[in-house]
Amino acid sequence: MESSLHQVWESAVGNPFVPTVGKGSQFLVGFSLLTIGLLLTGLFGLNRTVVNVPVIGIPASLAIAFGAVYMICAVGVYV
Amino acid sequence: MRPLAIASAVLSFASTALCAEKSNLTTPLTSKLILPSTFKPVQNFQNANLVHIISLEKGYPKESINVVIENIASTAQDEYFLPFTSQQMATIGALEVKDRKNPDGALFQVEAVEFDPESDTQFYRISLPTPLAPKAQQTLGITFSYLSALTPLPATIAQADKQYLVYTFSAYCQSAYVTLKQKTEVKFPSVVVPEYTIIPGTKGEAESPQKQGSKFTYGSFGEVPAGAVEPVKVRYEFTKPLIHVSELERDIEVSHWGGNVAFEERYTMTNRAANLSKQFSRVEWASAQYYNPPTTAVRELKFPLKVGSLDPYFTDVIGNVSTSRFRSNKREANLEIKPRYPVFGGWNYPFRVGWNADLKKYLRKLKTGEGYVLNVPFLEGPKQPEGMEYEHITLRVILPEGAENVQYSTTVPLVSASTSLHRTFMDTTGRTALTLTAINIVDDLRDRELIVTYDYPFLAGFRKPIVIFISTLSLFAAAWGIGSLDVKIKSKRS
Repeated sequence: MESSLHQVWESAVGNPFVPTVGKGSQFLVGFSLLTIGLLLTGLFGLNRTVVNVPVIGIPASLAIAFGAVYMICAVGVYV
Repeated sequence: MRPLAIASAVLSFASTALCAEKSNLTTPLTSKLILPSTFKPVQNFQNANLVHIISLEKGYPKESINVVIENIASTAQDEYFLPFTSQQMATIGALEVKDRKNPDGALFQVEAVEFDPESDTQFYRISLPTPLAPKAQQTLGITFSYLSALTPLPATIAQADKQYLVYTFSAYCQSAYVTLKQKTEVKFPSVVVPEYTIIPGTKGEAESPQKQGSKFTYGSFGEVPAGAVEPVKVRYEFTKPLIHVSELERDIEVSHWGGNVAFEERYTMTNRAANLSKQFSRVEWASAQYYNPPTTAVRELKFPLKVGSLDPYFTDVIGNVSTSRFRSNKREANLEIKPRYPVFGGWNYPFRVGWNADLKKYLRKLKTGEGYVLNVPFLEGPKQPEGMEYEHITLRVILPEGAENVQYSTTVPLVSASTSLHRTFMDTTGRTALTLTAINIVDDLRDRELIVTYDYPFLAGFRKPIVIFISTLSLFAAAWGIGSLDVKIKSKRS
């Protein structure tokens, strides 16, 4: 007695979903990325030029974006 | 003063109207097949042999009918009808039919039939997977349970008294066809059965019931016409709670970023056991705990969770309830909770429990495309020796934001399914939520699997960081833009 999608589940055996960053290292990754983002933001604050918006802004924003997602997961709100 | 009185009268009428509307919600939600009001099952079958087993060992009656059906028509037939009273129709749950000779085979399709809502006899239509040839026989195994069917008598007892339950059924199994030979077996939880109906023997048959320990047998009976009823009432000891969950809301939230699946269950629980005849005595209760006597109160609920479950919580309307224990190791993950107070007959206890688990045990990636398949238990409620019944279950599977093409399958009978959006932390459009509703489910269906497949495009997974990225970058641009504005009061010339 099996449900109709049981075969689909069985066919995907050996292919479990593994997240890029495991639960144990979410805090470390999130914290490091957020720190990098904060430092880069400080650097931008020292020299606010139009060139620095993409040169520093893009890496800082990327670090803050992924850092925030992992930090929120690390504190238990699994987004 | 007068307008106030009129206003209050209007309000009270409105509230009664609202209440009436609300009470209508308790009517069963099952989908029905409408047939003409003159419908009557055609006498295409006869029951060559029928064994009706009624198990009263749990807090709800569980019945199984094993019947050898024979096609007496001249053509092949594939529709067998099973009659129930309208009261039974409203409380019947977990009706399943399979071939007794092939227990691992698929369940037969079963559908409620409506032909005349006023009639007391309603039918379920069982569709045989292959039509039965004339004069051929097939053995059906039909199982079902009734909810809220056991009533305590006396209805009120003292705190330490024994409880007796009454159950009424028919010694002749309900059937829309002639039955040539049948018997009804009743399994009691103990040998203490102070009252039961005696059916005198006729035509050389012995008097019923025949007793064998805690098992009573009515019959066997000879040829019985269709629709024949022989009411039997039994009263037996059952000093255990009758746990009734009027509403269970179960949420399963999948997070790809966190690699986590979060479960939360919100119970509205009632004990249907005999009410207390006197005020509850805490002293008597505490002193009785030393010798642990059988009681009608719910003392403890045990949730055997899947191995690897973690971070459990147990709260009620007041807040965290500290009387819980979680044993987790490589072999088991048992959550044992004690309600804030012993839940006696007629008392309610709403509470919620929740826990997390690693996603990799529940989710697999399909080899083709961006598809994923999720396998979770449909029901993971407490496993109690006295059993539990669920009147209404709403299961919500909350998938990641942007999941599409959601499909599901389960062997639990459902009454409705829908897909909607659920908005919560850091969502922009909202997460895809699959809501499944089931009614009249008993804990026998615990651990039935629910399989959900969905597509989760690669870019949809990056929606959250992209949103934060764009907002942070625009903050940088704004900082530069605002910083370069010339807001000096001094004139430019000097």
